Amino acid sequence: MFDVIIARRRIAVLVGLILFTLALLTSQVRSADRRQVGPLGTAVLTVLLPIQTGMAHVADAGTRWWRLYTEIGRLRQENARLRSEVERLSQDLTVVREQAISARRMERLLEFRPQPGYRTVAARVIARDAERWFSTLLVDRGSRDGVRRNAAVATADGVIGRVIEVTPTAARVLLIGDSRSALSVIVQRSREAGIVEGRGGEMLHLKYLSRTGDVAAGDLVVTSGLGGVFPRGLVVGRIVTINREPGALQLEAEVKSAASVARLEEVVILIAKP
Amino acid sequence: MNRVVTYGSVLIVAALVQTAWLARLPGVGAVIDPVLVLAVATGFLRGAESGAVIGLAGGLLQDLLSGGPLGMHGLSKLVAGFGSGLFERSIYIENPFLPAVAAFAGTLLGEALLNVIGVVTGLGSVSWTEAVPRVVIQAGLNSVIAPPLFRGVRSLDERFERQH
Repeated sequence: MFDVIIARRRIAVLVGLILFTLALLTSQVRSADRRQVGPLGTAVLTVLLPIQTGMAHVADAGTRWWRLYTEIGRLRQENARLRSEVERLSQDLTVVREQAISARRMERLLEFRPQPGYRTVAARVIARDAERWFSTLLVDRGSRDGVRRNAAVATADGVIGRVIEVTPTAARVLLIGDSRSALSVIVQRSREAGIVEGRGGEMLHLKYLSRTGDVAAGDLVVTSGLGGVFPRGLVVGRIVTINREPGALQLEAEVKSAASVARLEEVVILIAKP
Repeated sequence: MNRVVTYGSVLIVAALVQTAWLARLPGVGAVIDPVLVLAVATGFLRGAESGAVIGLAGGLLQDLLSGGPLGMHGLSKLVAGFGSGLFERSIYIENPFLPAVAAFAGTLLGEALLNVIGVVTGLGSVSWTEAVPRVVIQAGLNSVIAPPLFRGVRSLDERFERQH
C-alpha cells in the first residue's frame, strides 16, 4: 500500500514537473527570439552573469597563457630546427664556395700553355715546409703519375720550382725562392742571360748579367731552357731593381717572382716526353 | 532550507563551471556536464523526485546561463534525474563502478532527449552520425567525473541526515 502511494507520488511529481517544463518550453518556442527569461530569470541572471563573466575572463587568461606556453614550446622547436638548418646550409655554402674557388683556380691552371716536348700533370699542394715556409712543398702526384726528379713545376703565372724528391704518390718541390735554388734565365726583351737564385722569399736574385747588357726595371725574366730542367720561355718574374756597382764586372738585379707561392694550392708538373 | 541552499549553491557552481570553463575545452563538441551527473547522483542516492527536482533546477540554470530557450536542458535532465531514481533501491549503491555506469547511461538518456526536444521544437535538426559519437564521448567524460561527484553528494546527504 505504502509502495503504491510512493509510486503514485513519484508519477505525480514527474508529470507535474514535465508539464511545467513543457509549458515553459512551449512559451519560449512561441516567442520571436525563442527565449523569455521573465523577471525571476532576469534576477537570477543579474546575480550570476557577472560571476560567469569573471570566470570567462579567468578562462580567457588561462587560454591565452596556455597558447603562449605552447607557442613558446613550438617556437623553441622551430628555432632549434632553423638553427640546425642554418648550420647545415652554412656548411653547404662553405663547401660550394670552396668548390667555386677551386674551380677558378683550375681554370687559371688550364691557361698554362703546354710546352713542346713536355706533358703536364696537374697536382694539388698537400703540405708545405713548416719550418722554411717558402722553401719546399709537397704535391699529391708521384712516380705513379710519371713525375720524375728535376721535373719543372709551374702555374699559369710562372715557374714555381722543380721536383727534388719523388715517392709513388707524392713529390717534393724545391721552390725557386729557396736559397738552394738556381736556374738559368734570360731577360725576355734584350735576351741577356743570367742566373736567378733564391733568397728565401718571393724576391729572387738575378746575377751574371753582362755589365753592358740592356736591362731595365720591369723587364720580364724567363727561363732560358739551358740546364735541361726548365723548358725554355717559362716566366720567372719581373726585374724590380738593378744594382750597378762601380767597378763590378757584372750586373745584378732583384726579380719579383711571377708566381705567388704564399697561397698556392694547385700546380702543373712538366714532364719531358721520352 | 539549509539543504535547499546547499544543493542550490552546488548546482549554481556546477552550471557556472560548465558554461564558463568546461564548454571551452576541446572535445569534438562533447562537453563535460557536471549538472547532469549531479542530477543522476541525486536520483540514485535520494530518489526519483529529488533527482527530477535537481535535474530540472540545474537544467534551467544551464538554459539561463547558456542563452538557449528555457526548458530544453531542464526537461532532459529532469527525465535523466528521475530515471536514475527508479533504480534507487534495486542497485547496490556501494558498487565502485556504479557512478561511472550511471553517469554514462544518464548522459545517453539526457542527450537523446535533448536532441529529440530540439527536433520537436524546431530548434534544429540532428545529424545522428555526428551526434552519436559526440554523445558517447560526452558520456565517457561524465563517467570520469562521476565518482567524486557521487561521493560529494553522498557526503552532503549524510551530513544533513546527521543534523536531523
